[in-house]
This record gives sequence, C-alpha cells and structure tokens, in this order.
Amino acid sequence: MNVGDRVRVERAGVTNEGVLLPSSTADHLVVKLPGGYNVGVDREDADVEVLESDVYDVESAQATGETSEIEFDDDLPTVSLISTGGTIASTVDYRTGAVTAQFDAEDVLRAVPDLAGRANYRGRVVANILSENMTPDVWQELAHAVHEEIEAGADGVVVMHGTDTMQFTASALALMLDTPVPIVFTGSQRSADRPSSDNVMNAVCAVEAAKADCAEVLVCMHESESDDACALHRGTRVRKNHTSRRDAFETVGAKPLGRVAYESEDVTFRRDYDTRGDTRLDISPGLETEVELVKFVPGMDPAALDYLSGKAGVVIEGTGLGHVDTDLIPRLEELVDAGTTVAMTSQCLEGRVCDRVYDTGRDLLEAGVVEAGDTLPGTATVKLMWALANADDPEEAMGESLAGELQTRSVPWT
Amino acid sequence: MSEYDYEALGLVAGLEIHQQLDTATKLFCECPTERREPEETVRTFTRYLHPTKSELGELDEAAVEESMVDREFEYLAFDSTCLVEADDEPPHRIDDEALDVALQIAELLDMTVVDQAHVMRKIVVDGSNTSGFQRTALVGQDGQIETSEGPVGVEDLLLEEESAGQVAGTESGVRYSLDRLGIPLVEIGTKPDIRSPEQAREAAERIGMLLRSTGTVKRGLGTIRQDVNVSIAEGARVEIKGVQALDQISEIVRLEVGRQVELLDVAETLRERDADVGAVRDVTSVFADTDSGVVRGALDAGGKVTAVPLYGFDGVVGREIQPDRRLGTELSDHAKRHGAGGIFHTDELPAYGITEAEVEALYDAVDAGEGDAVAIVAAGAETAELAIDAVADRAAGALEGVPEETRGANEDGTTRYLRPLPGAARMYPETDVPPVEPNPSDVETPELLTEKVERYQAEYGLDAGLAEQVAYGRRMPLFEQAVEEGIDATFAAGTLESTLTELRRDDVPVENLTDDHLLSVLHLVEDGDLAKEGVGDVLTTLAESPGLTAEEAIEEAGLAGVGEEEVREAVVDVVERNEQQVKEQGMGAFSALMGEAMGALRGKADGEVVSEVLREEIGKRT
Repeated sequence: MNVGDRVRVERAGVTNEGVLLPSSTADHLVVKLPGGYNVGVDREDADVEVLESDVYDVESAQATGETSEIEFDDDLPTVSLISTGGTIASTVDYRTGAVTAQFDAEDVLRAVPDLAGRANYRGRVVANILSENMTPDVWQELAHAVHEEIEAGADGVVVMHGTDTMQFTASALALMLDTPVPIVFTGSQRSADRPSSDNVMNAVCAVEAAKADCAEVLVCMHESESDDACALHRGTRVRKNHTSRRDAFETVGAKPLGRVAYESEDVTFRRDYDTRGDTRLDISPGLETEVELVKFVPGMDPAALDYLSGKAGVVIEGTGLGHVDTDLIPRLEELVDAGTTVAMTSQCLEGRVCDRVYDTGRDLLEAGVVEAGDTLPGTATVKLMWALANADDPEEAMGESLAGELQTRSVPWT
Repeated sequence: MSEYDYEALGLVAGLEIHQQLDTATKLFCECPTERREPEETVRTFTRYLHPTKSELGELDEAAVEESMVDREFEYLAFDSTCLVEADDEPPHRIDDEALDVALQIAELLDMTVVDQAHVMRKIVVDGSNTSGFQRTALVGQDGQIETSEGPVGVEDLLLEEESAGQVAGTESGVRYSLDRLGIPLVEIGTKPDIRSPEQAREAAERIGMLLRSTGTVKRGLGTIRQDVNVSIAEGARVEIKGVQALDQISEIVRLEVGRQVELLDVAETLRERDADVGAVRDVTSVFADTDSGVVRGALDAGGKVTAVPLYGFDGVVGREIQPDRRLGTELSDHAKRHGAGGIFHTDELPAYGITEAEVEALYDAVDAGEGDAVAIVAAGAETAELAIDAVADRAAGALEGVPEETRGANEDGTTRYLRPLPGAARMYPETDVPPVEPNPSDVETPELLTEKVERYQAEYGLDAGLAEQVAYGRRMPLFEQAVEEGIDATFAAGTLESTLTELRRDDVPVENLTDDHLLSVLHLVEDGDLAKEGVGDVLTTLAESPGLTAEEAIEEAGLAGVGEEEVREAVVDVVERNEQQVKEQGMGAFSALMGEAMGALRGKADGEVVSEVLREEIGKRT
C-alpha cells in the first residue's frame, strides 16, 4: 500500500474507496474520497485493500511539466524574475501538511497568467527557501544574480521573496548595489494556492514598478485590504507591521514612496527618487556577519550581553530616545573599548534616537555608543554588517544615509 | 399536471439539506453568528479571485466557467466581523460547540462518525467566500432515517462554513456582506433512495425535525436550504439548488420529472425528424433596418446579431417543458448565463417588432427552411458570440435528451439553468486547520421534538396543540430553561406561544424581545411581582424599548405590583358602591363586580387574588 494507490478501506462497518494520500500522523490513513473530501481512518482498526496501484502521482501532480510559451516582443522591456521562494510561489506539502515553496520563476509565470504581455521575462532561481531561513550569504548570492541580470540587459528586476524577512534582504541589496534600473521586491501574505491570494496583484504591480522610472530597491505589496493598488516602499524604510494582513508592509516615518494602481497600471511617486539610468551599475557585496541585534527589556539579565564579546558590531534596540538600563552601560563600554561598534536604535520604531536629552543617553554616548538616527533596528543591523566591511569609518557611516535608510528631516506627513 | 407512475419512470431522488447552526461563535473565528443590515457596515474592501489547481493538479469545470468573467467583489465588514472573514488572518481552530452539535446530528441520523475529520477547501470563485473556497469537513457517514415509504440512507454529514450573503450586483461584480460568512452550517446528503415526490418531502421534513431537536439550529428565512437531486431512468442527474420551503419539495420533484419526460419526448421527436444543429452565423445584416426595440438597441450600441439554425426543430423550441417554460426558455437561460438578455426563436416570431420579412430573410441567411427553427441573440459583439455558442450547445443537448446540470428553484416550483454540475476536483486540504479527532461518546443524544411533544403533555399537562407549538417553535430551548428554573409550564408555554403570537398580530415588534426579557418577565410573575394580566403590556413595552429591563418596563407600563392591601381597598370600594346589588344578588353579583374591580386595578393585580378578595368581601355582606 503506497501513497497514490486507489484503496478500499473498511472500518466500523463503513467502507470507503479512494486515493491514499500522505498522512501527517502515523496513526491515521488519509483517503481522498471520490467526492473530493479527505478522511482520516484509524490505521490499526482498518482493513485495507489496494484496488489499483499508483493511480495518482501525488508528488508531481502540481508540476504539470508544460513549458510556458512566451514569445519575445521587441517592443516590450525585459524584466528579470528572480525567485527566492516564499508564499508567492508556494504549494501544499503533504508530509507536513504545511505550505512550502516549490516553484521556480517559470512556474510563477504559469501561476500568474496576468503577467503575460507586460514584459519579456528572464527567469532565475537563486534560492528556494522560506524567508525565515534566509542568511547573509544568500543576500550576497542574490546581489550577484541581480547584478548579472542588469548587466545582461534587464530593464528591471523583480525579486520574489518570502515576506517575513523581505525588509532585511531589500536593505542588504539597497546597500550592496548601485543600480540604474528598478529592483522590486514582492511576495504574498496569503498563499498562492488560494484563489484569493494577493500574489497576482502584487506580481503584476511589481512588474509595472520594474518597468517604471525609479531606479531604487523597492518593496511592492498591497496598499490596503483591497485589490486596487500596491504601495511602493523604499527597501530600507519598510517594515512588516502585521502578521497576516495583505497590507502588512508599511513605510515607517513617512507615507510610501509611490503607488501602482492595479487597473490603470499607473505608477506614481510622492517624493524624489533616483531616476532610471542616473547611476552606474556597481556592486559592493562585502558583509561583516559578526553583528548582532539586541533588544533591551526591563529587568534584562546582564548575562544576555555576555555573548556579544568579540562581535564586530552590535545594534541595540533601546527604549524611547535610545536608552538601556543604566547598569548595562559599563558592559557596553567594555564592548566598545574592545573594538566592537555599538549603534543605538529605538524600539519605538517611529522617530529618531537622541541620547543628549537624558543622563542615561549622555552616559551611553560617553561610553562610545553611536546613534543610528531614525534607522529601523533591523535595517541598522544589515547596515552595520555592510558598513563594517565597506565603509572607511563605520561609526560615522551609522549616522549618515547611505541608501535612504536614515532620514535627516522628520516629516512623517509626506 | 397529471401524476406520473414514478416507479415505471425509474425516479431516483436525493436531498442535500443545509442548516445553519445557532452557535455562540463562528466556525473558524470568535465572531458572533449574528446577522447585520448592510447599512451597519463599518468598512468595505474589494477583491478579485483566480482559480487554482487541486492538489491532484485538476481544475474544476464549474470554477473555470465562473472565473471566465473577470469580476470585482466588494465586501461589507462590520464591528461583528474580524480579519478571518476578510481572509486577512488564518482561520482559528474549528469551533468546539459547532463540532458538538454536528456530532449530535450524526447520532440522530444514526451515522458513523469519522476517526479523523479533515477540513477541506472547496473551491468557490463566485466571490461568496473571501478566500475563494468554502471550508468543509466530512464528519459522519452512512446513516439512515425512516419514512412511511421505507428507509432513506444518509450518505454524509458535512460541517462547513456558511458563505457571505449577496447584497447586490454592482457595475463590475457583486457586493457581499460578511456577517453571514463563517456561520457554522451542516450539510446532510441522503443516498439516492427516494422514489416519490411525497417521500422527498417527508424525508426533508424528518431531517428538519431531527435538526431542530438539537435546539442549536438557526431559525427563519434562509437558515435552512434544501437542494434536490432528481433523475429518471432515461434522464440525467439534475441538481436543484435553493429550495426555500419544505412544501415546495414535492412540487419541485414532480415538475422536474415532468421536465425530463418532456425533454426525452423532444429528443425522440427530433430524432424522428433527423434534426440537427447547424453552424453559428452572424446575421446582423438581416436586421440592418429593423424596428425591433431589443435588436435595434443592441445594434445601435455597436453590437451584432448571431444566429444558430436548428434544422428540424420547427415547433419544438416553443414546446412547453414545465408550466410556462419552453425549450426556448432553456436555450435562453444559457444565453443569459453568458451575459445576453435572452434569445428570440422562430417559433415565437414574427413578434417583438421583428417582421415576417425579417424572419424570412433570417431563414435564408442560415440556409434553413420549412420544418426548421432559428434562434438569435442580439447583444454586444463578444456576448452575442459567446451566448449563441451556448445556445447551440444546449440545442445539441436536446437531441440527446436531458443534460446533467445544476438548476435553481423558481418560486413556482419550476427551475432554471445555473451552471454545469460541479466536479470532485474542486477540493484540497485546508492546511491552516489541523485535522480533528471527534469523540462521539462525549455527546449527549438530544431528545427528539416528537418525544418532547409527548413529554410536555404527560409531564406538564400541556394540551396536544400547545405542546406541539412549543416543541416545534423557535423558543423551545427558552421554554425548557424556564421550566427548569421553576416557572409553571402551562404559563410559560402560554406566554411564549399564545401571548407572543397575539402581540405579533397586534404589530408589536416581538422580534426585539431577547431571551433575557422573556425569562425575567416569567420570573416576575412567578414571584408575584407582576400580575399575569400585565404580561402583555410589559412585553409590549419591552419590545418597543428593548433597552429596558423587565423591572423598568413594569414601571414604564404603570404596572408596578399591587399588594393585597391595595387590592382589598379597591374591592371594598367596588362592593360598597354596589351595595344594593350585593344585597339582592349575593354571589350572583360576582361576575359583574369582578369586571369592575379588575378595571379599577387596571391589570396591576393578579386576577386570582382579586377574585379571592372579592368573594370574601361579598361573603361578609350577605
């Protein structure tokens, strides 16, 4: 008896015929009945007869093997679709019963037929991982791939990425790459295996943004709960602020940089941006990965800072204007003295740190902690990795804007 | 229509009954199962849906047909709905109460409960589910109910979420209200064991009674829906959706049998005539100068006229299949489904402004002649093409006999085409909800309504009529609670049924009365704080001002309790005023004075108390 067999299962006087599916528990057989329902039957008490072997190839049922026939059109721009995995191109895993990423970029074209006719596409798979499993070396691999695609003539790049850590990867690419074309991250909050998935509109709007004029690293996700427009966020200022909503992504400290209307396909911007072709393509992929982000909470065990010894950089997510318990300051001073760059951000997320207002702050500055302005804590962590590997003076760099991550004017109404 | 010999025709029918459950919260979130008015919406949003493949890689025909039209769905959200209904949060675990009620129903239907229930996603892309699927789980299998014409097997019991209610069509799609989405719903499918229209009605009635015996089902319009599957031996399976009234079921079956008999006869006639459906053509030029309003309108809007020749169909298109519904009506249903307003056919022409000359030109244009018929569609170019293809397909089906399909029930018991029969491929697992292992032994078997009727008579001394009224009434659980709490059963039954019915007839908005209102009023009477005679007034006050408590309503109605002392005062007053009459008639004066005393107390006092005091006072004076 194997998965994919047609079986007859008898138990407690009820006979069911159907296709045997993988089960997530050892105690039950899962049978797909002719009406489409799955039912779990106690394995121990069931009488099973195999009627026909291998009726369905469950493993490969999703991958149909057909190739998408997309003709090259000289009048259309070329957009590279780079897949890293994630919900936008995911499907059901029968062993775990969970949703996992199994598609390559070609499958995305098949899954989102609405993309057809908008561009000539180049597909590429850099990784096939859920975004919580993302690591700095994948960021680097991705930066190289994007660089190659642009070098090869792509007029824009769309990166399909899981939403959990999209803001980290987008920040990393914004720092590593000087780009003459748009690099647009997109994903989906509601999995692609449901008719209501946000993947279709997000992908379509991302392609439209990749064809547009803003040559920056952007995140393109639902602007509201409705399927009417996507917001374009600067990759270094965006944050996933909701676990499940379609419009989870928000630009912190300002309105989104731009917007793509789904129906009209209009791409509009609220503020200045780097325009297409202004920047020469370049890549600085170096990262110092010995960097940690530490969130301070009241009553924190000082031992939690022990493991920071020897790190090249530490970003603190402090309270309010950028504070930690006064008793922890000597430990931070120790780290600075030993050569660690320690940068301060705020768990308020909105607003900039200012360690000159209260004594605690002044003591922190005294101890050698540097302020990261209004840089988001996660972005500051990626930035410190990059700055330690690339900047002449990483401590000074943390106080400056390298890729739009730090705003010098606080004007949240714009 | 004369009665058929159903056995000879090989009638096979089955039922699918959908019943909303009256649980505290929805099936996959903690929102109340409360209905709202569209005006109460606090938020709206719009979405599109895209069909996806099942885990076996198949697309469903019905889902694909549905999604051909790119429609925008607008949803109304309320302060009583959350992100789960908006498909912006994963579903919570399956509601325990709903599962318990489903297990009770399984028990009542004599079903075997599954070892492990898997929640599935049934693809529905008409927008009625924000997710694009309905969550549904098979809970029970293989049950049986009794009818006077023999047992009817019950195939399956499904626990699923109710869809969103349609509010209105919009310019670009449909507007839905999220209040109904996610209310627990059980679907009960019988085996195709039903052999007569009467048995179909009886089986539906029996299942309805069993469902209501749980005391946890919703009541009122739209809370129970019956679908009927009907076929005869030479016919085909037709699924009829949305039968609202129980009484309609036998008529629906009868008329569907009639329809299939007629269609088979049509097919035979067409075969004898060697009939055929010709190629679809553009006949716009025939109508270039037409005075027909419908055709002119379509052409002026840049549309066209398409036609299909139906060789050998003369007279058949106009033939009645069901009361006032012709084969032409069936063709027209298919055209409508693809966006056209309907069809014209030569069995009904010349008419509608189309002239004899145009009909002749139409015949010529499609190479048809005597003995043939022609159907036309006038609409926008794309619609006219799609619609006439659909008409041609349906006409070709008439050569074969009865097409398998899903039909919708009309109010008069006839039916109209809705869509193809759904396939099995429209299901895949709901991976956000882990399978559950239901334990039927945890569940108490509810007492049947039929048993309640008997018990209410035997135990509480209710008469048969009132017992049945209470048991089958929607306030049955409240009645039982009241009796449990020590309220006199006859009084409780009388109040909850007769009094409320009288008030409703007097246009009192009794639907505003909550269980709490009713229970408090019953208790106040039981405790002697309110006269039975004042119940109607207090309930009227509460119904008109549901924000009040029962005590406040008593004040408001001017019925604040009157003690025996005040009663005696009033009675003595009455007796003294009528001293002469009392002396002359003695107890004979009782009835007249009783009326006067009650009038003086204006319903504030219990009649029994008044009567007792009055007897005493008359006694003292004779």
